[in-house]
Amino acid sequence: MAKKTYDLLFKLLLIGDSGVGKTCVLFRFSDDAFNTTFISTIGIDFKIKTVELQGKKIKLQIWDTAGQERFHTITTSYYRGAMGIMLVYDITNAKSFENISKWLRNIDEHANEDVERMLLGNKCDMEDKRVVLKAKGEQIAREHGIRFFETSAKANVNIEKAFLTLAEDILRKTPVKEPNSENVDISSGGGVTGWKSKCC
Amino acid sequence: MSSLHRIRIAEFKAVLAEPKINLAKLRELSFSGIPCEDGLRCLCWKILLNYLPVEQTFWSSLMKKQRDLYSQFLKEMIIQPGIAKANLGVSREDVTLEDHPLNPNPDSRWNTYFKDNEVLLQIDKDARRLYPDMVFFQRPTDYPCRLIMDPQNDFETLRKRVEQTTLKSQIVARNRMGVTNVSSPLKSAAPSSLTEYEPLPNGSEAHWEVVERILFIYAKLNPGIAYVQGMNEIVGPIYYTFATDPNCEWKEHAEADTFFCFTNLMAEIRDNFIKSLDDSQCGITCRMERVYSTLKEKDVELYLKLQEQNIRPQFFAFRWLMLLLSQEFVLPDVIRIWDSLFADENRFDFLLLVSCAMLILIRVQLLEGDFTLNMRLLQANQAPGAHYNIFIFHLPPSPTLCSLL
Repeated sequence: MAKKTYDLLFKLLLIGDSGVGKTCVLFRFSDDAFNTTFISTIGIDFKIKTVELQGKKIKLQIWDTAGQERFHTITTSYYRGAMGIMLVYDITNAKSFENISKWLRNIDEHANEDVERMLLGNKCDMEDKRVVLKAKGEQIAREHGIRFFETSAKANVNIEKAFLTLAEDILRKTPVKEPNSENVDISSGGGVTGWKSKCC
Repeated sequence: MSSLHRIRIAEFKAVLAEPKINLAKLRELSFSGIPCEDGLRCLCWKILLNYLPVEQTFWSSLMKKQRDLYSQFLKEMIIQPGIAKANLGVSREDVTLEDHPLNPNPDSRWNTYFKDNEVLLQIDKDARRLYPDMVFFQRPTDYPCRLIMDPQNDFETLRKRVEQTTLKSQIVARNRMGVTNVSSPLKSAAPSSLTEYEPLPNGSEAHWEVVERILFIYAKLNPGIAYVQGMNEIVGPIYYTFATDPNCEWKEHAEADTFFCFTNLMAEIRDNFIKSLDDSQCGITCRMERVYSTLKEKDVELYLKLQEQNIRPQFFAFRWLMLLLSQEFVLPDVIRIWDSLFADENRFDFLLLVSCAMLILIRVQLLEGDFTLNMRLLQANQAPGAHYNIFIFHLPPSPTLCSLL
């Protein structure tokens, strides 16, 4: 078994209506690039990015889901394992914002109780087409006690900040490990999570 | 052209020249790949997808009938509601007439129109992003739909209908003089995501718009399933094949012919698209499990490795099976694979075997890789099919199904 190259593994999930830009948000974060012509995500996709926070190497395993209702049976099974969920809407699409409460209910039903949630209003570079006011996004986030950012995958606004903030929030909840514990061998790929208690 | 290839073409032509085509023979030939010369693939797909019967004498009358029927669908489902809408913009109608946009009656034609627009918006998003790496779907078709595009009629195209559906907000500001100032975003010449592709001049339409129309008609005729994301990837290769047919008369009717072939194909694979069937005997979950149970039989070591890494078939086989591999390979390879899939008598058992073979062909990497590496390999969406070039070009000339494994 190779020595692991990270201290903690955080599993994140991106959800939201189709076409709001989930794949673009993820692509911007993982590859620092933007592509206007992404094919629609079918089922579930996966990306990895390692970041450093508070001197710890954190591997982010990010699952990107298909937005359409049809895929919910496939995608909701991933909610359970997620430590952070990013809920994305499109500021130029009112419907995608109206559906936020539906997505939040989905999280309540299928995710861990202590999952970190975050709301993103994407495509904030398209001010001329905006139909969802920033204050509206802030309001719904406040009501649910979750963080909120307006982002643009295209103009690279707040993307990295959003992911790092989510990772920090998860890290804050993660029990502090003993020094040197990063050398602990892991037995299987899916075995290590940030929730592991220090007393075993 | 190699002499071997010439012989193959001759073989196909001989089979297709029979007044009553021997379907078993055609399947056997098609399984190893159909030549694209002389429109052979278009003809074979039409037969293999049960659009054309095996008796040649019926072909021209049947195609004429079906193409007329499709025109009828266009008139009923696209043009007539469009006229109503177009009229509203041109002249003020008396809204006290029996039907009007604010009619609360659920049977109102306007109500249907607005509901359809929701489906249409979804189709539009996906039709625009069909094969973005290929210029073909953004190019204008040589055969725009005459019914709709005739400038004299001024009918509303689906693309325009969607643009009108997404209403823009307007900022209303009242200045101190009491003058209300409505700043319309329509006035600002800002580029929008809808115009990422150069808009085509009036009277012409891009190939993706044809695909959009096919999907919309299908959704209207099949309201139970309507439109599910991924259907665009099923229409795409069929339409591309028919719209590049060297036979001009057939090429002109690519839209109608694609519609019926797509409908027939969907009749066989639609269960994969229906959420409520996911956990039933005929649903996609069951088929994904079959990929793993076949793998277990053929390569238990690899099977155990994937199990141990908790790599579930949902992570990759869902897309492979639902889209018939159309997102895993570049279009020419997809079309070649579909020759074999359509030729498969027990559709789509061969797909399960191919999926299994796709795992075994990269077994060395999979056995060495960790979870992350393996997921990348299996989802391979950066370089579709990159690992499988060997597989496609080395299909044996006359394989039986199992010789691939």
